[in-house]
Amino acid sequence: MTIRLRTSARLVAAALALAAASLARAEGGTVSGKVDVQPAKYLEETVVYLKSVPGTYKPETHAMDQQGMKFLPHILVVTQGDTVKFLNHDNVVHNVYTPDNEGYNLGSFKQNEDRSYTFAKPGVYSQLCSVHPEMLGYIFVGQNPYAAAVDKKGAYVIKNVPPGTYQLAVWNAKLKGPEKSVTVAAGKTVEENITVKR
Amino acid sequence: MKRLRSIAIHVLAAAVVLAAASPVQALPVFARKYGTSCLTCHTVYPKLTPFGEAFRRNGYLFPGVDSDYVKQETVPLGQEANKKSFPNAVWPSTIPISVPIAVGFNGQVMLYPDKTASYSRVNNGSQVVLDNATLEAHLWAGAAFTDTITSWGELTVNTAGGVAIEHAQLLFNDLFGPKHLFNLVVGLGLPTIGSFGPHSSYIADQLIPNVPVTGIYGLSADPFVLVDNYPGLELRGTYEGRIEYALGWNAGKNSWSSAFNSENWYAMAGFKLGGMRLDGEGSTGAEDPLKPWAETSLTVDGFVYHSNEHFPDPTTATATSPPTSSTNDVSFTGGVGVRGMLGSAELDLGFYSQSHNRGFVNPSTGTFGQVTADVLYGELSYIVFPWLVPSVRIENIWLNPAGAPAVSDLHIVPGIAFLILANIKVLVVGSIELASGFPSDATGQPLSWAGPYPPAGAAGTGSSSWAPILIGPRNGATVSSKAQEFESLAFMLAFAM
Repeated sequence: MTIRLRTSARLVAAALALAAASLARAEGGTVSGKVDVQPAKYLEETVVYLKSVPGTYKPETHAMDQQGMKFLPHILVVTQGDTVKFLNHDNVVHNVYTPDNEGYNLGSFKQNEDRSYTFAKPGVYSQLCSVHPEMLGYIFVGQNPYAAAVDKKGAYVIKNVPPGTYQLAVWNAKLKGPEKSVTVAAGKTVEENITVKR
Repeated sequence: MKRLRSIAIHVLAAAVVLAAASPVQALPVFARKYGTSCLTCHTVYPKLTPFGEAFRRNGYLFPGVDSDYVKQETVPLGQEANKKSFPNAVWPSTIPISVPIAVGFNGQVMLYPDKTASYSRVNNGSQVVLDNATLEAHLWAGAAFTDTITSWGELTVNTAGGVAIEHAQLLFNDLFGPKHLFNLVVGLGLPTIGSFGPHSSYIADQLIPNVPVTGIYGLSADPFVLVDNYPGLELRGTYEGRIEYALGWNAGKNSWSSAFNSENWYAMAGFKLGGMRLDGEGSTGAEDPLKPWAETSLTVDGFVYHSNEHFPDPTTATATSPPTSSTNDVSFTGGVGVRGMLGSAELDLGFYSQSHNRGFVNPSTGTFGQVTADVLYGELSYIVFPWLVPSVRIENIWLNPAGAPAVSDLHIVPGIAFLILANIKVLVVGSIELASGFPSDATGQPLSWAGPYPPAGAAGTGSSSWAPILIGPRNGATVSSKAQEFESLAFMLAFAM
């Protein structure tokens, strides 16, 4: 191998290493784990989130449907500034309102119509239908997009977290859990298990 | 005289059948709701464990947050978040996904070992009676609408065709203030005059025996008794898990054809030392995990009860026409009760004194007179196994009518209660009576201790419809005669699901 070829190979290797490091920084780290909910029947209404992550986040639009007399999904996780479009795929009139935070009432709307609301403030907004008082959904509005609802086994995964140290918190509709400090490194996964109870 | 005795005896025979109406309380509907065994709350049902008593006192709610323990699916009639919108939204509540009803049946086979004892004497010398082997069917309902508002009810049907709503109550728990302190009960039910459930006995139907004074003396066909179902209101609660109270107001008894002001009221207070708290909160479990019913504790309670009972005035009746006006009997009762538990052994003792201003008709004057009824009762039991509990119970009633001979009856009730399965129960109970004198009718003739009245429902004399106090006079007996009888041996079978 000539000297020129060896030099070129070294340059390519260095460039690849630099690119890989840069990519890792862009992807950030992952926080995952499992939430032990006591009693377990309240597992479904649980969101794990990072309390305060500096940054500006591009607003997005999400959808929450009303179908089969249910809000779907039961819990929708969005970020401050995002908009949620409320759909109605039932052959009955529905309403959407919340008594939480600033409160809103989007009125009644029939099948295939929709209403939208932009969430300016972080918080948890219970979604109710005045026509069908048994219906319930939740919209969790985070300060940042680093939040996740747990799955049916209580597992959660928060991806692409910028490296740094944050407060990991949990919200449950009926129970309480501790906050934990987590340090996230680029390309790494931090495991944190949480117990929530009365 | 012979005719009067014949009437009394025939009524006595009827009383034994009618008094057999026997509410056997256990609510499998709660077992389904919480997905838990009957044995969480009961030993041999309807007897409650300390936890079961706490559940009852809490208004049929678990300690802590009731809904945390509910395993049965519920239908929300409004979501919790609706509270924030009230009054613009309905207050949230739930109903069970299935109708919260349980069913149960009970009856008893009766043996009368002594042909000369009261029942056999007037029933053709019969000694084995299967007539009531299946006697009653019960429908029990119990549900929570919220974590504080509950309900329960009982409908009983018997083989004689009787149908009765025995209980139907709404319980508004934790109205305000410290948890468990202020609870309002509305509807038809048994008054709270003791710390324990009214059916807290292994071998009797109720812990506190009844003395239907105006019934025994033949004045009322539906006499007032302490433990009976009355429509009314009751405020009750526990404080710091150790002190308990109840204040109640109910309709009382009225067998006249028009209404009167409801003037019955009562109050109860008690405390518990040792063992599980009265509300079951913060329990750390039994000393022996294999004996969750066992504890070392002492519970003391006392009550007062005022009643104004109305009934047709028998002195206005003639041989050919019924009474033309009503009269009333005002009674006041004061009583105390004590329960001591030492592991699996339990001793209940109680006493009450009840004074009536018009409880009988004095044979010598033909006018109404005062009667005092004093009642002493006790029950000793030991849980040999979770399914086997031998017990012995003693009841003594003294009747002191003013200006007429005092009489007394000692009732000894040995028995054994056992479970074939958690929800199938057998009870074997003996009944021995030692009477010193007999109550007299308006002419001075002796009456049965069951009285000449048919005790509608379960308001018989004593505490057990399957072993009631009923000893009657023999030929030639007077109001001062003494008598002793081995009345009966009852084999009771009950099951619930």
